[in-house]
Amino acid sequence: MGKRVAICAVAQVKNVPAYRQMRFQNMLLECFESIMEQTKVTFDLDKGIRNIVTCSDDVFDARTISNNGVTDVVGAHFRGEEKMAQESINGLGYAMASILSGHDDVILFMGHCKESQTESRRMCTNLAFDPFYCRPLGMDFQNVDALQARAYMEKSKVTDEHLATIVVRSRKNASRDPFARENRLVDEKEVMNSPMLADPIRQLHYYPVTDWAYGMLLCCEERVKEFTANPVWITGYGSCMDSYFIGDKDLASNFSLKNAAQRTFARAGIRDPRKDIQLFELCDHAAYQLPLWAEGIGIADESKGGAWIDEGGPDSYNVNLSGGQLNGNPLLLGGAARAIECFLQLRGEAGKRQVKGAKRALAHGTYGAAGQHQAVVIMEI
Amino acid sequence: MSKKAEQSESFIVEGKLALPYAYFAGRVGSTFITTIRDQKKIMGVRCPACGTVYVPPRQVCDKDFTDIRNNWVTLGNSGTVVNFTVVRYDDRHLPRTAPFVLALIKLDGADTPFMHILEEVAPENVKIGMRVEATFAAKTTNTILDIDHFKPAPEKVRMTTERPEAGRKAWTPGDEPEMQEKRRGGKPDMSTPVIITAALTGAATMKNQNPAVPYTPAEFAEEANKCWKAGAAMVHVHARADNGMATHEHDRIRATHDAIKEKCPGLIVNLSSAVGMGKTAEQRISQIVAVRPEMASLNTNTMNFSIIDRKTGKIFIDYVFENTFTMLQDFGKAMEENGVKPEIECYDMGGLDNIMLVAKQGFFTYPMNFNFVWGVAGGQAFRAESFIAMMNALPPKANFTTCGVGTEEFPCIMQSCLLGGHMRVGLEDNIRMPNGEFAKGSWELVEVAVRIAECLGRSVATPDEARMIMGLKKK
Repeated sequence: MGKRVAICAVAQVKNVPAYRQMRFQNMLLECFESIMEQTKVTFDLDKGIRNIVTCSDDVFDARTISNNGVTDVVGAHFRGEEKMAQESINGLGYAMASILSGHDDVILFMGHCKESQTESRRMCTNLAFDPFYCRPLGMDFQNVDALQARAYMEKSKVTDEHLATIVVRSRKNASRDPFARENRLVDEKEVMNSPMLADPIRQLHYYPVTDWAYGMLLCCEERVKEFTANPVWITGYGSCMDSYFIGDKDLASNFSLKNAAQRTFARAGIRDPRKDIQLFELCDHAAYQLPLWAEGIGIADESKGGAWIDEGGPDSYNVNLSGGQLNGNPLLLGGAARAIECFLQLRGEAGKRQVKGAKRALAHGTYGAAGQHQAVVIMEI
Repeated sequence: MSKKAEQSESFIVEGKLALPYAYFAGRVGSTFITTIRDQKKIMGVRCPACGTVYVPPRQVCDKDFTDIRNNWVTLGNSGTVVNFTVVRYDDRHLPRTAPFVLALIKLDGADTPFMHILEEVAPENVKIGMRVEATFAAKTTNTILDIDHFKPAPEKVRMTTERPEAGRKAWTPGDEPEMQEKRRGGKPDMSTPVIITAALTGAATMKNQNPAVPYTPAEFAEEANKCWKAGAAMVHVHARADNGMATHEHDRIRATHDAIKEKCPGLIVNLSSAVGMGKTAEQRISQIVAVRPEMASLNTNTMNFSIIDRKTGKIFIDYVFENTFTMLQDFGKAMEENGVKPEIECYDMGGLDNIMLVAKQGFFTYPMNFNFVWGVAGGQAFRAESFIAMMNALPPKANFTTCGVGTEEFPCIMQSCLLGGHMRVGLEDNIRMPNGEFAKGSWELVEVAVRIAECLGRSVATPDEARMIMGLKKK
């Protein structure tokens, strides 16, 4: 195995439907101060933070170069600052690469998004489609995800009832996480009676609009003792992008997730994810994605997602004990939220949802319509 | 602080991002949109290397990076719904008020479906597989909405798209005189439906020759399903290991057989008893007895079975394919005793004579089913008069199909169809379409066979009709 990169500390604000009294700068500042407090890291140009990676989105922030609005609160004056305008888990991968390449020893990684600022999250995702062939048709992540849901549910015999159990479980799990969005607990009947948004996706099948910010401090193996006695190691990262046009790909095939996962497993020396990993945090934008991604990373049998739910697969593999993306994290930040949950679990700081003896965890992030981009990170103690 | 007080102290700026812009559609996009606008025609681009027809069109093939910008093909203005959703929310970016249908539509002649609006049908009546056609906008906007929407189209017989019941119609065997009688005077009997077999792999065709060759059980199942949808009643299978090598391992062969049966329960699976080069007699027959498919090949001569450069005569691989009389007898008996109907492979008239000699022992059940194989280096080349001679030498009530290596595939199957016989196509025998382009899969060659049948007015046999004709027991 090569060198390892440590996550020394994480910080987050609570996921909420809308921070009306707090700008995203304030949200970040809270995280920033927590990281400083936990690690005693400084901005000394020899020994402290010289490089910062941020994650944010121009459209959600309603300005160009959205990172420019947070330079001060992340301490980036006279320092390197780079923005990941993609799923946040890639920011984690990028920070890791910065350290492994010898570019720097210590990286501060922060991200924010206030989905509540936009009139319609769907209008934002409509902008992800090219202006010529797709955008005028009104394609957005939700209605394109619906096509994937239909294809996948048919392939893997996943039913409306299965989706209801996934939603009920997500909200129940999230109620044990003090940082999770506070959603009303629901029963299966209520989920199945919730209005159809884009067949076969119902309103309660889709993650709600959420505001959130986070911070993490990463450093090289040699210097980890300066910042924490309990590091969590990143031992593998892989990502993959599927075809752009929706008709070019097999929506239920998990092509890009399988590729991302296999690369990651090879780096982390994982032979069998079912045996070698004790905890999984999957980025399920919609309920149908939980079994789909479970198939993609290999903890559910191919085309057997429905049976996997019936057999209690999510609980037997400790999947999304945080409630997952489905309970509510902002688009773009789902991967960071998954990684933070894995960090807390591995350190034994997950409170009521703590898994005993977890040594290795998998965090997953996805972005684009119907899971076009996929990335996976392995974390260990 | 109360929530109300909090809110009153929060000044919310109501803003709007609105940014008119101009966007160059690119040369490919410009041709696409102006053709829709001016000619009411939807165009795609075909990759000459892999044969994929893309819509929306693009400059470079995603799969092999071939420059495809000038390879325009006109697609049908109608197609098939392959996926859809009903948008039930209203939003400013949507082109219609809810509810409306967004559908992935595979246009006739295209390989990649594309998204558009589907109207003039109630959302609850939209089905995957339904036929739809484009309605063009009365007034151009120079956008993709110059196709205003798609609407349901009448079902019609098509040549090239997937049809589970391709060219098939109900057929029941009547009180027919022996075929031999009907053929008298050279008059062919074309009254039976034609059985199309897809030979998916053979032992030697590799993915580097045509990437559609299946290796894994899942790939076999997928390819078999496509062939069935295109019109095949039977698939002929040489199972492969993951690395592509022909295998005699029972577990792998059974997994391949079962994967196909799981995906297409009705389809007839015909396993090879040749397996591949260098296999022993025991390896060749024990897998048939173990898996017990409905049908299996039975080869009739010991012969050269080599790979020779057809232009220069240079010998690449020289191999003797052993099928002694003892093997003919033992394999034939083993198949019949295990309820596996032999498909008797004749590479020349001598092979047919060989089988008729051992048939005198009386273990073959009737009808006997023959396959005339043309163009193996070591067997005979296709000649129309040889075909007729072999047909006339068949025993009573026998059925015949045929296959040919490389370009001999198409003339021999056409002749067979014309003479009342059946047709075998597929990547085992031939990897190219009649125009020389690579076939996208055995299923595309099945489509050619379906077209031949249609041209001759013969219906295409369903698997159950094929069983009736060939005397198979469904398993």
